[in-house]
Amino acid sequence: MVATIATAPRHTSLLPVRVMTALTQTITLTNDLAEIPRLADFVDAVCAPLDPTPKDMLALQLTLEEAVTNIINHGYRDGRPHTFTVALTVDSRSITAVVTDDAPAFDPLARPEVDTSLPIDQRPIGGLGVHLIKKLMHRTRYERHGDRNILTLEQQLSPTAPN
Amino acid sequence: MEITENKLNSATVLALTGRLDGLASPALEKKIDALLAAGNRTLVLDCARLDYVSSAGLRVFLTTAKKTKAAGGKAAFAALTPGVREIFELSGFLAVLEVHPTAAAAAGA
Repeated sequence: MVATIATAPRHTSLLPVRVMTALTQTITLTNDLAEIPRLADFVDAVCAPLDPTPKDMLALQLTLEEAVTNIINHGYRDGRPHTFTVALTVDSRSITAVVTDDAPAFDPLARPEVDTSLPIDQRPIGGLGVHLIKKLMHRTRYERHGDRNILTLEQQLSPTAPN
Repeated sequence: MEITENKLNSATVLALTGRLDGLASPALEKKIDALLAAGNRTLVLDCARLDYVSSAGLRVFLTTAKKTKAAGGKAAFAALTPGVREIFELSGFLAVLEVHPTAAAAAGA
């Protein structure tokens, strides 16, 4: 686990100040669908201190499952076990997820848009995962660095009610 | 993910509890295929206790609607939680799937 903590800015207000921290935590997963609950627990544990709304939490859980499931199901084509990582950086009211794998180059975001207006008989079965990632995240980016696919997903959290 | 089966009118109601993710979805698909093979034609998926659905679960929902329709029956979805409703909306599923406020309404419609 890599943790970096930024020092809190000096405030003159008498109100309690939320300590500004940028904290990155990383989980290593294998290409097996049985890893999904472990991913879900990791996302829960990292994000819980931010007290996200249920809607934001669902968006993060869903997006990361989709990104990871794509790698597990389609990334590696040699039938062998592989590992890849999901790093979550929590900074004030934003969460950045970086999913890094060493599978063959593949840009999931380049997938053509799903037409969600088609009638049921014509609706394709696939493609919804990436569609949901794009709908639910504020920013998405794919890069190929050397032999690695790097998918970066950013979410700005909605404000939660003060306690 | 827990699946509980009940009969309501002539419909088979499957109450889903927990998370319908990529790991849980194959079990639901298997269950639904078995029900269709046994002659069940009207299925109600009661989502009142379904907290989470990912595209793997949506895929099972969509294929269930297609399979029941092809068999001369139908699939209806009931009591969506706010989060699941949002995912249905973003996926365009509210327009293509039959969604009811309660399982009883779904079974009776």
